Amino acid sequence: MAMRNAYVDQFPSEARLISAAFWSSFLALAIGGSLGLVQALHRTDYLRFIDSVDYYTVLTAHGVLLAITFTIFFLVGIFTWAVTTSLDRGLEDLRFSWAWYAMMVVGTVLVGVSILGGVVDSIDMQADVLFTFYAPLQAHPAFYVGLVLFVVGTWLAGADWFRTWWAWRGENPDERIPLPTFMTLTTTLFWYLCTLGVALSILVLLLPWSMGIVDSVNPLLSRTLFWYFGHAVVYFWLMPAYMMWYIMLPKLSGGKLFSDPLARVVFVLFLLLSTPTGIHHQYLDPGIAEGYKFIAMTNTMFLLLPSLLTAFTVVASMEHGARQRGGTGYLGWLKALPWRDPVFTGMALAGLMFAAAGFSGMINAGMNINYLVHNTWWIVGHFHLTVGTAVALTFMAAAYWFVPQVTGKQLWNRSLALGQVLLWFVGMTFMSNAMHRSGLFGMPRRTAEPQYQGFNFEPAAGTVGEINAQVALGAALLTIALALFLLNMVMTTIGGESDAIPDNTYAGTLSGPEDAPVVLDNLKLWTAIATVLVVFAYTLPLASIIDAGGLFGPGIEGFQLTIGIDPAIVLESVREVMP
Amino acid sequence: MNIHTYEKVWLAAAMVLIVGFIATITYGAVGPGIAMIDDEAGSIDPAEINDDERFAEPGVEHVGGNEYEVTVVAQAWSYSPAEIEVPANSEVTFYVTSRDVTHSFSVVGTNVNTMVIPGQVSEMTVQFDEPGEYGILCNEYCGEYHHTMEGKLNVVPEDEFDLTELSVEAPDEVDAGNETTITANVSNGMQEDLETTATLEIGEQQSERDVTVAGDSTEQVEFTVDTADLGEGDHDWTVTVDDYEESGTLSVVADDGNASADGGDGDA
Repeated sequence: MAMRNAYVDQFPSEARLISAAFWSSFLALAIGGSLGLVQALHRTDYLRFIDSVDYYTVLTAHGVLLAITFTIFFLVGIFTWAVTTSLDRGLEDLRFSWAWYAMMVVGTVLVGVSILGGVVDSIDMQADVLFTFYAPLQAHPAFYVGLVLFVVGTWLAGADWFRTWWAWRGENPDERIPLPTFMTLTTTLFWYLCTLGVALSILVLLLPWSMGIVDSVNPLLSRTLFWYFGHAVVYFWLMPAYMMWYIMLPKLSGGKLFSDPLARVVFVLFLLLSTPTGIHHQYLDPGIAEGYKFIAMTNTMFLLLPSLLTAFTVVASMEHGARQRGGTGYLGWLKALPWRDPVFTGMALAGLMFAAAGFSGMINAGMNINYLVHNTWWIVGHFHLTVGTAVALTFMAAAYWFVPQVTGKQLWNRSLALGQVLLWFVGMTFMSNAMHRSGLFGMPRRTAEPQYQGFNFEPAAGTVGEINAQVALGAALLTIALALFLLNMVMTTIGGESDAIPDNTYAGTLSGPEDAPVVLDNLKLWTAIATVLVVFAYTLPLASIIDAGGLFGPGIEGFQLTIGIDPAIVLESVREVMP
Repeated sequence: MNIHTYEKVWLAAAMVLIVGFIATITYGAVGPGIAMIDDEAGSIDPAEINDDERFAEPGVEHVGGNEYEVTVVAQAWSYSPAEIEVPANSEVTFYVTSRDVTHSFSVVGTNVNTMVIPGQVSEMTVQFDEPGEYGILCNEYCGEYHHTMEGKLNVVPEDEFDLTELSVEAPDEVDAGNETTITANVSNGMQEDLETTATLEIGEQQSERDVTVAGDSTEQVEFTVDTADLGEGDHDWTVTVDDYEESGTLSVVADDGNASADGGDGDA
């Protein structure tokens, strides 16, 4: 047998753990993604086979399964790969590693079952509270417990990576932190910092309140603590995609990473700025002074910097690779890139869509321009470009390389994989573009039936019907792409072992860590500064919210507006708003 | 640290872009004066909304000149009031709060958009230059009939706008031969005096009274009705003040001593 040097050959035990994490992620993607099609067809009124009141249960499941479960299960796999590969050592104790994985699974199951209770009568639970679970909408305690278990699972995963790095550090005291490990550790650090907010919100406010231990909640406080976590979480999903663009794309292009030092600068900037920006999701919230919103906006705008730097480095690295492959000319080098490789093409298209997402994000970030688009379908269009493409498409493309690495089995069908990433790109172009446009004339997000009695939407260009058609078409294409991806993954996994798996490597660098100032590796320093920035951005707003409304709010009890509502009251409400 | 020249240029351009963004938004705040929803309007206990000075009777109030205040209570799944009317060329400050969960108050296709969080009061001031009709919707999920939560905002031409209210007190029945009174209460929500005419039509008769209602107050206009002129039977009446009218029926019955208890002398 030829000497194969895939990840599964180097770290067979870790490969099994990563496989398990990937499959948990794919399962969430399968369920959550299919629910997305149900929603798209329902909202646009092409096909309504669920009751509109159940739409919100479906939407909750779609959001939680895709934004939390799919992304985070996949990234714990990638980060485990990154740490072990770049430090060239296994995890310290696989029992510990399986424990955090199991904790994440149990958390997901609890959350999933409590959401499912919204449509299955025999489960006496409900969690129709959407991904954001804004109090005083109240879910079953199992929903909150599940979220806590899941997050604690990720904390332990982070501890596992740190432990591995500390062990390596002991043996290699004078070496620079390898770039993939550096990326993992900085990301983990801001994850610890930001999840503290949501953990406090759940453990101190929401869980005791859902169990009836305290009988009131301060909605603005729990909401602010959610967004303290809620923006950084998007960078938690995004950083593994960035890692792929930094350390895989240059290699796939046939070259090297342009600059290791700037990659470190970028990740340090994300550590510093990911969390003290959350209030930009609350630009339109009462009870928060304008000054705090301005601080959040300034931090957000400066977060453009690492993304703009990434755009430069990634494109420069791709150009370097293309020129190594014989590409010439100002733009002619683009033709020399390996466009037939689904891993490369998927990641490159994901990066391109992220650039578009950057532009709509700049609109969202502008606090007074945000009035026009806040909570409209524009926002949904925006994050289907970010988490729905920059992250999801990069992860799917990465899976075409990673799954063979961790299973030792060759990708079942490479052409199908190429078609799949293209189809995702095309489907998302239709869907996201139409969503963005509809937001500009005020069509709301999170609505089962955006058809109103008293008024019609008035698009400046095009029609509502045409926009709905594009969304439904895009969603259908995305669902087909999703099915093709899963088919390829299943067929690859049930296939036989192959000797033709490429070696487990990542990109070298043109300008290496020796060019990077040593201070960049001082994680304690950056964590301290990140903490100071968070204290600066959040102490005063939180203090004033608690001062005005109290820790537990002014007698605000829970609402489960899916049960116990008298239908007569519903009709009354409906009648009242009719002209 | 070794940074490529092109990358330095890119870095500088990125910084210019970022600072430029912050500058334009700052200009939007201090130049055109686009203020953010903030904490100025304070907090409120949702259980006390019905006793709150501002929110007990939500609706439109005239502050003076072209300034108005509109208070709105959002609840699952409606706004109170469901329909709002304000004049063009006005400056309207909205105060919105929620009785139950988080909602939004969003005027479709405009930048009038705020979250409505229980415990908090959202305040925003809007200029309405032109007449127009707008939908209002809730864009934050608020329970299973969230998608039915809507309202209406009508900006009417200035000369078609008033805050006049008319309510009429009239007996249903009166004994033939007695006099009775129909009272029109004309209230004026504007700060300026309202000079108008109240008209009563009953049977073949019509009477008019000029009335001046001071700003933010109510006047009573009494019409004396002599049943002798009307005769026995049912008589439809209508009271009209500007575009407002209220109608009813007055029964004049024979005084046979068996009249209903409230027939009496016709006092309302």
